[in-house]
Amino acid sequence: MTEFKKGTRQFWIPYLFLLPNLLIFVLFVIIPAVQGLAMSFTDWSVFSKPNFIGFANFKELFADEVFLTTFRNTLVYSILTVCALVVVSLGLALLLFHNTIKGVKAFRAIFYIPSLLSMITVGIAWRFILGDEMGIVNFLIRSCGGKGVQWLTSGKLAMLSVILVSVWTYAGYYMIIFISGLQTIPVELYEAAYVDGASRWYSFKSITLPLLSPTTLVVSILATINAFKAYELILTMTKGGPGYATKFIVQQVYEVAFLEDRMGYASAMSIILMLMIGVITLIQFKGSRGEGENE
Amino acid sequence: MKKNLLVLLLVCCVAGQLMAAGSSETPVAKTNEPVTLSVLWFNDGNESDVFTATMKDYLASHPNVKVDLQIVAFADYQQKLKMMISGGNPPDLARMATADLTSLIDTVLPLEGYTDVTSLEKQFVPSMLAYAYNKDNKLAALPVEATANGMLVNKTAFKNAGIDVDAVSKTWTWEEWAEIMKKVIAANSSNGMKYGLAVDFTPHRFSTIMYQFGGHFLNADQTAMQFNNPGTIASLQWFKKMHDDNLIPKSVWLGSENPAELFQAGIVACHIGGSWNVNTYKKNIANFEWGTVQMPKASIRSSVPGGKLIASFKGCAHPQAAVDFMIAFADKEHSSQYDKETMNISARVDTNIQYASNASDFNIFADELKVTPAFTANEWKNPNLAKVTAYAKEQIVQYLMGNIDVDTCVANVDKKGAGFFK
Repeated sequence: MTEFKKGTRQFWIPYLFLLPNLLIFVLFVIIPAVQGLAMSFTDWSVFSKPNFIGFANFKELFADEVFLTTFRNTLVYSILTVCALVVVSLGLALLLFHNTIKGVKAFRAIFYIPSLLSMITVGIAWRFILGDEMGIVNFLIRSCGGKGVQWLTSGKLAMLSVILVSVWTYAGYYMIIFISGLQTIPVELYEAAYVDGASRWYSFKSITLPLLSPTTLVVSILATINAFKAYELILTMTKGGPGYATKFIVQQVYEVAFLEDRMGYASAMSIILMLMIGVITLIQFKGSRGEGENE
Repeated sequence: MKKNLLVLLLVCCVAGQLMAAGSSETPVAKTNEPVTLSVLWFNDGNESDVFTATMKDYLASHPNVKVDLQIVAFADYQQKLKMMISGGNPPDLARMATADLTSLIDTVLPLEGYTDVTSLEKQFVPSMLAYAYNKDNKLAALPVEATANGMLVNKTAFKNAGIDVDAVSKTWTWEEWAEIMKKVIAANSSNGMKYGLAVDFTPHRFSTIMYQFGGHFLNADQTAMQFNNPGTIASLQWFKKMHDDNLIPKSVWLGSENPAELFQAGIVACHIGGSWNVNTYKKNIANFEWGTVQMPKASIRSSVPGGKLIASFKGCAHPQAAVDFMIAFADKEHSSQYDKETMNISARVDTNIQYASNASDFNIFADELKVTPAFTANEWKNPNLAKVTAYAKEQIVQYLMGNIDVDTCVANVDKKGAGFFK
């Protein structure tokens, strides 16, 4: 009987510890997500009674040119930003992992600081830096006799600027994750490879990259989720412009919900965004598992 | 024992009833009941400070009334207010921009039943009062600040080109303006001046030009979108030409650069902004002479009326106290003090505000309002138009960038708007 009680207690105690977090998760994530899903099948506007309209919102979405443009922009921005972030933050981590450079801790702090800033501050600051007429960069270019670059008024350059600023902001954060990943790789493996005459590149390719793949997976998933949710930076830097050049799904969801008062339609957009993130995360997981199996 | 329990149960029931009665909301609060009015506010400049100072005497003479002022950034204001209303917890009072009021008009508390509406209606400028009526034509808000769109110019730049801008602006057309600007830019290029005009990146400011070219958003009876009309097309074509000819900087409508900053830096000679810019420029510009001039005309002269109103909401905690407070705030004495210190145009018919400075600027804005056709206010108070203006702005930018032609631009806006005017 005592053994049975002990066993039951041991079974329940972990769940008891999980309970507060689980409650918060259910209250603030699961329930709103389910509500959002339910709303996406209605024509609800903020002050009206919702009517069930089936898949009408989803049908409309795939004929909505603005939504399709924001969908494409979100995909392009996310893929390019995540790829650039993985490469840059891994590069920074490799540079600053060993204490071979003088002032390595100061450099780590310098690269990390942007990720602590509010994205609104970052967006406004970079608008001042890249602005066509009032921007510091164009002021310097013009001072040297140049013509000034349309960083934020040309569609392609605006997208590139937004990606570069995103990488500048988050690279330091992911660098720290990569550094902690690098610390888990046994030094003996490099020593053995060195004794066998392996080059630095070969060591990196055959030891660092494979053993760092769980960290790379975490970084790419976190970066993907962040990229898909990009809003404040875009709003303060380009307002989604010029035209639709840097307008992403989150901004469109906000505008449809709060400017057009179409909560049901905006919910349908959010569901699509959630599915997009889910599918891409799943692909990343599958890809990473595949790599692991090959090894 | 049973008897004691029964007595205890009865006492609990009575106490419960009493507590419930005490906490229930009555539609009309007693005048001496302690009341804390929740007031939602946003600032363009110093408005919340002036509001507090203006209403100090009212609060002193009504010791039972207190104000809980919540200041929210304008960018988040509409969302916050909508969330409060849809959550069943609206503020007692809120400062409302005309655009916000039109989209929330169904939730605003009609004043009938709380005060004598007929005497109130006579006190305000009709074009501003138009914004204050709900769909049933009941007065539901009180205008406290009137604003107008207008043109602010760098007078020093015009002087450098040998042009008396005060004189020429009395009769100029947009074509004459374009010719004059070429001279002004040429005379001031060594000082860094590059463009003639910056227009705020809002559909409201663009509509100033659209109305001047004879254009409009809606049909005559305001029941359908009609952006596709010769006047609107002419204004769009002119707007694009000015961008292509480098008389208007692309960085404002395409790159979200702040037109007020470009004007203050001396990069543009003119700015189509609003009467609120007078206050900003008074503080910030010291290195050149500036002032307000009459806007050029195309087929007609026009501005766009706007402003801020104060309103209460259906289901708020203290409707009677809120209405009493807003009537006091919008009366001649308080609103004059408020408008004088916030440097706004009065929305009342009976005020003669002696501004400490820039009186001539405000007079020009007031003149622009006087020649503005009444339908402009009716268009901007249409709640369905408010839902399509963000899209219209994006389509205008698409046209400016050359991604679509003008016919596609106006057709797209009409198509989008049709969904809201069903």
